[in-house]
Amino acid sequence: MQVLDDLWIRIAVWFRGLLESFLPPWAVQLTMDVLGILLLIVLGIVVVLAFTYMERKVIARVGDRIGPNRAGPFGIFQAIADAIKMLTKEDVTPTNADRWLFLAAPIVVIIPAVLLYAVLPLGRGMVGVDLNIAVVFVVAMGGIPILTMLMAGWASNNKYALLGAFRTVAQLISYEVPMVVALLTVVLLAGTMSTVGIVEAQASFPFALVTPVAFVVYMLAGLAELNRTPFDLLEADSEIVAGYFIEYSGMKFAMFFLAEYINLFMVAGMITTLFLAGWQWPILPSWLWFLIKVVLVIFLMMWIRATFPRFRIDQMLGFAWKALVPLSLINLFLVALVAKVLEPGWVRTGVLFVSNLALLAGAIAIMAQVARKREERARAAGEAAIKRYYGSEVR
Amino acid sequence: MLKTETITINMGPQHPSTHGVFRMVLTLNGETIVDLKPMFGYLHRGLEKTSESRTYLQAVPFTDRLDYICSMSNNFAYAVAVEKLAGIEVPLRAEYIRVIMAELTRLVNHMLAVGFLFNDLGAWYTPVVYAFRERERILDLFEMASGSRMMCNYIRPGGVAADLPAEFLPQLRKMIPHLENFVREIRFYLSDNEIFKARAVGVGFLPADMAVAYSITGPVLRASGVKYDVRKAEPYSIYDQFDFDVPTQVAGDVYARYLQRLDEMDESLKILRQAVERIPEGEYATKVPSRLRPPKGEAYARIEAPKGELGFYLVSDGSPNPYRWRNRPPSLINLSALREMCLGHKVADVVTILGSIDITLADVDR
Amino acid sequence: MYGKGIVKGLWVTLKHIWGTYAKDIKRFPRRYAPGGIAKRTDYDLYGLFTLQYPEERYEMFPRFRGALMHLRNPETGEPNCTACGACERACPHGVISLEGEGKGKDRKVTAYRYDLGRCIFCRLCVESCNFNAIELSREYELSRYKKDFILELDDLLKIGDKYGIHKTGEAWGVTE
Ligand code: SF4
Repeated sequence: MQVLDDLWIRIAVWFRGLLESFLPPWAVQLTMDVLGILLLIVLGIVVVLAFTYMERKVIARVGDRIGPNRAGPFGIFQAIADAIKMLTKEDVTPTNADRWLFLAAPIVVIIPAVLLYAVLPLGRGMVGVDLNIAVVFVVAMGGIPILTMLMAGWASNNKYALLGAFRTVAQLISYEVPMVVALLTVVLLAGTMSTVGIVEAQASFPFALVTPVAFVVYMLAGLAELNRTPFDLLEADSEIVAGYFIEYSGMKFAMFFLAEYINLFMVAGMITTLFLAGWQWPILPSWLWFLIKVVLVIFLMMWIRATFPRFRIDQMLGFAWKALVPLSLINLFLVALVAKVLEPGWVRTGVLFVSNLALLAGAIAIMAQVARKREERARAAGEAAIKRYYGSEVR
Repeated sequence: MLKTETITINMGPQHPSTHGVFRMVLTLNGETIVDLKPMFGYLHRGLEKTSESRTYLQAVPFTDRLDYICSMSNNFAYAVAVEKLAGIEVPLRAEYIRVIMAELTRLVNHMLAVGFLFNDLGAWYTPVVYAFRERERILDLFEMASGSRMMCNYIRPGGVAADLPAEFLPQLRKMIPHLENFVREIRFYLSDNEIFKARAVGVGFLPADMAVAYSITGPVLRASGVKYDVRKAEPYSIYDQFDFDVPTQVAGDVYARYLQRLDEMDESLKILRQAVERIPEGEYATKVPSRLRPPKGEAYARIEAPKGELGFYLVSDGSPNPYRWRNRPPSLINLSALREMCLGHKVADVVTILGSIDITLADVDR
Repeated sequence: MYGKGIVKGLWVTLKHIWGTYAKDIKRFPRRYAPGGIAKRTDYDLYGLFTLQYPEERYEMFPRFRGALMHLRNPETGEPNCTACGACERACPHGVISLEGEGKGKDRKVTAYRYDLGRCIFCRLCVESCNFNAIELSREYELSRYKKDFILELDDLLKIGDKYGIHKTGEAWGVTE
């Protein structure tokens, strides 16, 4: 088990030894760093290939279909076939587009996505850099895609793209707030901002159990950050066709696509790290645990995508500001209070868990009340109209 | 002081959710709709004029192409009109077959309407795939009886094109409980969904008086609370012999229209059950000459098509070709209230409201 | 309780995911139906519904309306068509054009052109035929690489030979 657990680390150490036998120390360091970066990029691309395939399969299965099954056994090369198709497609730049911005956007969008992988602990001791402010890094890098989407939407000189870009800015900035507050809750509990430290702090209880509210808020905000159903308004194909990347084609489009799936893995990885104890948990090797949890989280996201319709833009912003922000703020306050009073352990976890559930129940009750009011209003309007019609006519 | 501008957007003619080639000119203030101008006619094929240069029988395949989702009801309406014009009696078995087919068509149409409504709402094809699955089973029955899935050309003046094949009724008997299960599953899956309710309740409100003023018919009218159904108001064929209700809703919004369609599916299944039980043996058609020459005169016949009241107005001058061939497409007339329903809502709602009216552009433009 | 609808929805789709895999297991190790022909008979809300088209295909119903075919007289092997022109007149689209020679009983068809690209498969031509000469076949893979959509008499007879039908309207319960 131990062997399997640090399999990758052993390989790295062995390789380093191999290099040291014939290279000067600075060259060894350089090679290892470059290799690490390459590895992360390759990981990113593999992730994209794997999860596009998985997404298509899951959605197909929900719809009683088989899904891609032509390219290779069980269709596993479908993603590669798609990539080849993308590469061979005509690359169109609209005549009146803002040329440089238009070209820059797809490149800029991918960089922060890959950069984020640096702080993701993939297993015990397997992290690009153990930054002590990793959480801040994640939030900061998460902000850059907003800019690129606005760039893409504005530069395309297309009204749908512009609408998509408006929506992007509104949505992503709104959801950044509850996300950061949920993050803060975790940081408060863990007492550190390093992702590795946060994982280690969850040795006994995953934070999803300690503070379910933060988990739910982070999950929802994560879905919104990823533009996934029910928050996929940025690219809502039935309304604004494709949103900010409507004018992109070929490989430039593929870049946005890549960034989307790289981000998917990243957000799922962050949820795993922050709330599901990262690579912790016994028996299986740590990196496998991490992978399993990430895949489960991603499956949940795909499942949700395959099941639900999407919100409307104003409802979604309302949901962020009126529901998620207050909820997460109250939760932050609660957690801060309890964490100050009680020592870590069973009692604290229990108290936090129960109080969080109560908070969640309260929020749901309020939302149900609002929904009922809406329904009653709609009914009343209908009733009034019917009375108007039948009242003035002889039946 | 902040100055804002409205933007004008052309939604369509190529747009993923205008259900065909339909164009809406939207004037937006941010995302709120200030004005909406529907423009149609991109799919105009001149079916009325074409049919006037054909015989009465040759026009039947053209009616298939009016509203290609419910070709059977179009055939039905046309056949009723021709029979009225020429004074043709229809055997009882044929009437039963017609009712079965018309109700199956209603099921097909409402399934698709519900499914595509969810597509417009952004549910990633799942409800629509479920709807298509069941639709395919019903279309199999159509194919078994008429030889074609969609362009059935089955209900003819005088009866139907051919008797039902032997396997048809057993198959249908097996399918009715299955379809009931399907409706139940859709209710379970979607009716309570909070996201759907948030999107649909109170959106696209069409008051009952305005609906009548626009002469809206079909599920859209009944969802606004007006109990009007041609099957009850002016029974044609043998609909007066069946026991069924006309469900209505109160709220008149997108959600009510969705519920209305599910309720109507239940009622259709009720009619189907009775029809399958009671269908008699006998002739399936009265002989009608292929170059029918109806006496001079005119006739208007209407039926309750799945989308609303479908009427055919025929004028004969005694020759084998109709002098005037006119139809009242439910989609076009229901579409006329789109602007009123959309004003003040968001861009995303336009799509939903359009989906909830349930139009076929082939029917709008003819 | 608020949120119930969400859970219900997820439950339904989960059942569908599970259902497809359950059917997959039943089909193991072959994914596609043996022989490649299937009939849609099972009424089940769950499980795979789609067909893997080129490998699997459904058996067409006997009444299926595909491309036109010409029938032969089983004894003489000659086409039944007498070039009466009823189908030409019955067709709403002017798809058919034909030529014949001879008078009365000896009249024979010499050329018959059928424009596949314009046919709407309405079967009015067949209904007008009194000589058991034409019928719609079950041919449905009608796409072409070139624009050779016009079928001549020989092509139509070839399709007819493939199906071996001797009477118009056998499947329709009308044989006049
Ligand atoms: S099937 Fe209809 S369209 Fe085709 S040739 Fe016969 S009559 Fe003409």
